[in-house]
Amino acid sequence: MNTFVNQFSTSSALSVIKKAQAVTDDDEEFSDAAWGSEAGFGSLAKGVPSFSVPAVQDPTSFLRLHTDDHADPNCRIKIQHGTTTLAFRFQGGVIVAVDSRATAGSYIASGTVKKVIEINPYLLGTMAGGAADCQYWETYLGIQCRLHELRNRERISVAAASKYLSNLVYGYKGMGLSMGTMICGWDKTGPAVFYVDSDGSRLKGDLFSVGSGSTFAYGVLDQGYRWDLTDEEAQELGRRSIYAAGHRDAFSGNTCNLYHVKEDGWRFIGNYDITKMHYDGPGDVPGSTKVAYGYDVRVEGRTSSNPPVAAAA
Amino acid sequence: MSIMEYNGGSVIAMVGKGCVAIGSDLRLGNQALTVATNFEKVFPVTDRIYLGMSGLATDVATLREQFRFRVNMYQIKEERDIEPEAFAHLVSSTLYERRFGPYFIEPVIGGLWKTQGGEYKPYIAAADLIGCLNFAKDFVVAGTASEKLFGVAEGLWEPDLEPEDLFETISQTLMNGVDRDAYSGWGAIIHIVTPDKVVTRTLKGRMD
Amino acid sequence: MATASTYAPVGFDFSNQVRNQFLQEKGLPLPKATSTGTTIVGCLFKDGIVLGADTRATEGPIVADKNCEKIHYLTDSIRCCGAGTAADTEFTTALISSNMALHELSTGRKPRVVTAMTMLKQMLFRYQGQVGAALVLGGVDATGPHLFTIAPHGSTDKLPYVTMGSGSLAAMAVFESGWKAGMTREEALSLVTDAICAGIFNDLGSGSNVDACVITAGHTDMLRNFVRPNERVAKEQRYLFRRGTTAWKKESVRDLIVSEEVRPIGGAGAEAMDTS
Repeated sequence: MNTFVNQFSTSSALSVIKKAQAVTDDDEEFSDAAWGSEAGFGSLAKGVPSFSVPAVQDPTSFLRLHTDDHADPNCRIKIQHGTTTLAFRFQGGVIVAVDSRATAGSYIASGTVKKVIEINPYLLGTMAGGAADCQYWETYLGIQCRLHELRNRERISVAAASKYLSNLVYGYKGMGLSMGTMICGWDKTGPAVFYVDSDGSRLKGDLFSVGSGSTFAYGVLDQGYRWDLTDEEAQELGRRSIYAAGHRDAFSGNTCNLYHVKEDGWRFIGNYDITKMHYDGPGDVPGSTKVAYGYDVRVEGRTSSNPPVAAAA
Repeated sequence: MSIMEYNGGSVIAMVGKGCVAIGSDLRLGNQALTVATNFEKVFPVTDRIYLGMSGLATDVATLREQFRFRVNMYQIKEERDIEPEAFAHLVSSTLYERRFGPYFIEPVIGGLWKTQGGEYKPYIAAADLIGCLNFAKDFVVAGTASEKLFGVAEGLWEPDLEPEDLFETISQTLMNGVDRDAYSGWGAIIHIVTPDKVVTRTLKGRMD
Repeated sequence: MATASTYAPVGFDFSNQVRNQFLQEKGLPLPKATSTGTTIVGCLFKDGIVLGADTRATEGPIVADKNCEKIHYLTDSIRCCGAGTAADTEFTTALISSNMALHELSTGRKPRVVTAMTMLKQMLFRYQGQVGAALVLGGVDATGPHLFTIAPHGSTDKLPYVTMGSGSLAAMAVFESGWKAGMTREEALSLVTDAICAGIFNDLGSGSNVDACVITAGHTDMLRNFVRPNERVAKEQRYLFRRGTTAWKKESVRDLIVSEEVRPIGGAGAEAMDTS
């Protein structure tokens, strides 16, 4: 609503930037030749890309004013927050499971979003927070991981890759990047999961879930998690956890994408419709008990409020 | 966040040939958390009038009882059933009485009224939260998915649908509308009111 | 609710105020009510008054009603167009209409337009603009034709041609260039139609059809949907779902036909029963 006003206002964010640029009269500082629309292939190896930041005294506080902020409904850049992603480490590798819903306010903008980013054949990243931020930086991370392989003649460890990302986003701390991601993979040390977010946190762990539906996913995950899970059991646990989040959380749902990382790299297991899982279960897949996940479907005929069909008639 | 989005939910009513259909989703939420998936928002008022309410669930429950009381009083005094138009004005006045401290609901009314000749004619109406009535001759919607429902209904509705065709049209409108709304859905219920019977169906909707 | 039926005071009920105030302080804004973004006009002519209105009601950016009525009945020879909060214009005019009828019964005379104007302005002033009704009042009484505007705070104007609502500027442009004293009924009606059409086509808050009302001494013509410049073309094809498209889990049927069977009991000797 304010965009029109801002366009012509002399005190809007845009004009402040424009004024500052006119004063300095120098575009060198704002060059975005490193990576992106005007980048050539040659510049890829030159290290961390530098983004144009607003040419004001204190870009961090300036951006904080204008970018995504929970507390301030007037902030101009909004980022979708609703999501459920999870990843856990077990005896047989790493399970990564995510939902596929994208919302803009209460509007469900898409039900077919890919929230697992395939960084390379051994590394997966998950997407929560800003979709563009996750996609851009995790793809960029893929480039750096490949360069690491070429330089050092060995694959990058998950720890190193996640630290690379963590350090990178930390450099933009406070400027409005929004990502909550899990970097998952298999390296010399075995299966590994690291949680990295745009605040600069980087945590090593066995089990993580990120997003608005994470509490629901944790509920199922914690209850069913063991280190010695079989592959089938682990995949079923991932699916079941995302179902729970999709069912209870308004901002998660539609479908579940399931990945399994093993010694020889990741493998896409499948895409499962959450409503179908509710009424019929996940179908004939390994690990499935072939029972519908939905509570009222499972207890049909066993509670007073949900009597058998024959008795109700 | 608006208070109207606190519990979520949507309601719709449509006119058919000598019949009306009215329905709602079944979600009761606490913002993003889905608390229940069996919360009906459409209630019978008389044999041939149904009232749907979307908005704040506590007010939906309060007003449902308030209207039951007032309709009973009307029927005792008048010794006859209330007609849809009179009921619409009852709803409207009840809400406008609270002009400066409103109930956070948007009502939708669907029913049949008896003409002088004993024939039944369809009637639908909706109001905003302070009781401004909207008599439509096609369809009315309310709730968190109202914008989406307006769009779908505008495309799918056509005049003089038979009860069974109206059921398909209202069901598809409601289901496809709420599937694009995060705060509505988790199943739906539809009532088709015809002169000689009311058919109620619980739909198999998306559960996410 | 315990005391609900015994005594209900008249007027507004503020019992939800404390709760709603609390919610508002927690940062939850009051939801928006239906408003009539509206073009309403009135114009004087040789024999009386012509009132005009568009028929769009909006809720924010959504068109809530495509064909609502904004020319409200006050008495047989006085009508009132409403703009602003739709519920307020509806109930304010209904209340004044009722009071005008009572006034007519108690005085035994046809009520005057100034009476309605005074009742309306006194009510709106009492509510300090909180009742959001912007009105165009017109009618013919014993003292001749009269045309007023009443703003939400209670101020009034008496003019030969008036406009109100979000489309008032577009409509006034038409009046300013086209109005002249002593117009015929046809000229006035066509000018009012043009003014409303200016609102319908140039103001986003106004739309759909033109309602008009011609009031002369002894006769009132309510011309509902006088012009319909925005008819929707018929759909060329239809979206009809095959029966059985929608999956449902449960069905219940409530039969409304009460079948009554009268079965005589007592057999053949029933008529012969002694009732003395």
